[in-house]
Amino acid sequence: MTVVSSRRAFLQGAAASLVVPLVMPAAARAATPAGVAENAFLRLDADGAVTCILPTCEMGQGTHTGQAMILAEELGADWRSIRVEMPKRPSDPYRLPFGQMRSVGSYGIRFFHDPMRQAAARMRTMLVEAAAERLGADPAELEARDGAVTRRGDGRSLSFGDLAAAASALPVPAEAALRPESERTLTGTNVPRLDTPAKARGEAVYGIDVAVPDMVYGAVRLAPVFGAEVERIDPASVEAMPGVLKVVEVPRGAVVVADSWWRAKRAADALDIAFTRTAHDALDQEALEALIAEGLDREDVPNTLTRGDAVAALAGSDRVIEADYAAPMLAHACLEPINCTASSTDEGTELWTGTQGHDWIRMNLESELGIPADKLTINTAFLGGGFGRKTWHHEAVQAILASRALGGRPVKVIWSREDDMGFGFYRQIMKARFRGAVDAEGRITAMSVRVAGPQMGAFMVRENNMDPFSLLGLVDAPYAIPNYAVDHAVTPVPIPLSPWRAIATSFTGYWMESFIDELADAAGMDPVAFRLANLPPESRAHVVLTRAAEMANWSSPAPDGVHRGASVVGSYGSFVAQVAEIEMENGRVRVPKVYAAIDCGRAIHPGQVETQVQGGVIDALGPTLRAKITLEQGAAVQSNFTDYELVRMDEAPEVEVAIVETGAPLGGVGEPGVPPLAGAVCNAVFAATGRRIRSLPLADHGLA
Amino acid sequence: MTSFKLNGARVETAADPEKPLLWVLREDFALTGTKFGCGVGSCGACTVHLDGDPVRACSLPLSAVDGAEVTTIEGLAAAAADPVLAAWTELDVPQCGYCQCGQVMSAAALIRDVPDPQDADIDDYMSGNLCRCGTYNRIRAATKRAAELNRT
Repeated sequence: MTVVSSRRAFLQGAAASLVVPLVMPAAARAATPAGVAENAFLRLDADGAVTCILPTCEMGQGTHTGQAMILAEELGADWRSIRVEMPKRPSDPYRLPFGQMRSVGSYGIRFFHDPMRQAAARMRTMLVEAAAERLGADPAELEARDGAVTRRGDGRSLSFGDLAAAASALPVPAEAALRPESERTLTGTNVPRLDTPAKARGEAVYGIDVAVPDMVYGAVRLAPVFGAEVERIDPASVEAMPGVLKVVEVPRGAVVVADSWWRAKRAADALDIAFTRTAHDALDQEALEALIAEGLDREDVPNTLTRGDAVAALAGSDRVIEADYAAPMLAHACLEPINCTASSTDEGTELWTGTQGHDWIRMNLESELGIPADKLTINTAFLGGGFGRKTWHHEAVQAILASRALGGRPVKVIWSREDDMGFGFYRQIMKARFRGAVDAEGRITAMSVRVAGPQMGAFMVRENNMDPFSLLGLVDAPYAIPNYAVDHAVTPVPIPLSPWRAIATSFTGYWMESFIDELADAAGMDPVAFRLANLPPESRAHVVLTRAAEMANWSSPAPDGVHRGASVVGSYGSFVAQVAEIEMENGRVRVPKVYAAIDCGRAIHPGQVETQVQGGVIDALGPTLRAKITLEQGAAVQSNFTDYELVRMDEAPEVEVAIVETGAPLGGVGEPGVPPLAGAVCNAVFAATGRRIRSLPLADHGLA
Repeated sequence: MTSFKLNGARVETAADPEKPLLWVLREDFALTGTKFGCGVGSCGACTVHLDGDPVRACSLPLSAVDGAEVTTIEGLAAAAADPVLAAWTELDVPQCGYCQCGQVMSAAALIRDVPDPQDADIDDYMSGNLCRCGTYNRIRAATKRAAELNRT
């Protein structure tokens, strides 16, 4: 990241706000409209308000509060003066290592922590210098805390607001000293979330709640079969319905615009529209499974990971454990359905939406609609869930086309739950064949994993067919396996796919932790003891698994009727171990309790770490028990929460979380709670029933 | 015209009597605290009180509230020191928060009906409110805390 050196700080508007830009192209030195800060994480106004300009959307993971804590602490701001905004367009300081402003990868805290501390430290240094001049003091006598610069000794103090104008006339330091650990008194505590009061009171504005003057509403009618387009459309079939303003053709269907969403929806449902045929109109789940299963036996598949010689080692083993695993498609099912509000003409395009994919939207509007980046403004609302689903651009395109058809009038496009669930962009369907062997001491001697299915991350593959979206959790498994091979028989599917929370580890975590359990059983060893014996001692996985086992009292027998399963998975720079306790009730699995131990480096907000891990467990439990997306006649079968069943209060386990700090660097928190759950539950099912569950959900096996 | 009491005030609207109450509230009265999640009464994000009882506004036509009393999250929030909101804030319950207004409305009815709710009561009253972020552990604790605040 470029750091500004010996340049004048950026004077903003007439009110002399202090902004410490991180990148300063020449064009940005001209005044920008008040209230629009570019290329900075912080803006200090003359009235003392400190605005954190944050690169990550707020979709429940608490990142707005966490990032604001990092900035406020390093700056020395009065927490009550903190405001939060997001930039109106993506630019470099807000981008992740792969070049996009994108709220993914559990990056929000771990990636932005250091750059944010630096930015805040530079602003603090300038404020202290300005105060030093005003007070005729040595900067070393001054400290910045609680929104003011104060001289130790006589306690003379100047508020940040008073200093903003003077500080903004100073050169921005190239680098600034960070606070010592002893001064980091905000991070590591459970600061009340900034957004809690608004969210509890119904005042928080989500994309679906946005209201702009003269706004009208769009409902969609989209082809149920993936890849189908509009064959013919008869707008006249609904144009006379009450409130209907326009029927607009869009990719894969149409938007019907009316003066209320209900009227738009009724018209969209009544619209006379036909869709083109596709090559997979008859594709059903059985055929889809067979398509992918072929890959398990395929020859000539490139080696992705080769350590030692798994083939030879397995061939030379007395007993090879072999098991085929599977995982189905999943919907994200964010509780707030897909929506976008747009006002667009050739002069400019303004969006209001809850999005994770700012640069993705920018890039696709440019390529699909010819909208240049400097004519696009994105107002980011709260997201009623994201989970990877709100990284796309389709709804933005729909809203823009609808708005343009109405001369730029703002149109809010809302998808129904059925539209949302049927559109695709699912967690991918995958299969795997595991083969492994253990020695007489219970050490894993060899393992091979053949993954079969689509290569969702094909655009990222550099060499050896290594797709992080398919193979993480396998290629980087924490176990000491001297002879290990992983490969991927790629089979494209005619269904649009999307990263789902924890992506590959959402299924590889389940597979690996179930197969490890199979090896433990073959070795005649306790599942936790087996894992600990095969994890490098003092590894983070070893530490968190030991902790989770302690929490669950693993070394003592489980109470009557309670059965336990364990797992440990590393993902996004963190390690999480879980022990699930299950009970069988009329032959069905109940999960009353889950213990989880997480090492995510330093916990910036321990309460949020806890609640994210609890949420990750419950998120994973729905698909473990019951939820899946299947295909019939080229389209999704499931359409609403009535047939895509998620966990409710009466099935929710109590989730006890321990944060274990091993001194590791910051790791992600949003996703790592997901991967271990399914394996832990299925391992408990094995303990309870002797049945090894190699595909999800449990309902498919009559167990939920 | 449909006339009813909304958050304590007499109102009337010329909206279509078949229009779901959810959309009447959100569009005709600009009360967006009540959320759209599924449209079929399955997720509970649209929970409001009709004559004091929790109902799913997405599945209720406007005509059903004629002459009745409707309370939304905005009405609850306007009341001074509501114990459910106090507990929700104290325990930092919401993550994405989209379900939470519905959760609060259901919890408010629960603690009024059952002054000392047990887990089974909470399961009963709250299982119609889906939380996609899985905040059930905190919802349960906050419901008990709200009941405690309400009793004092």
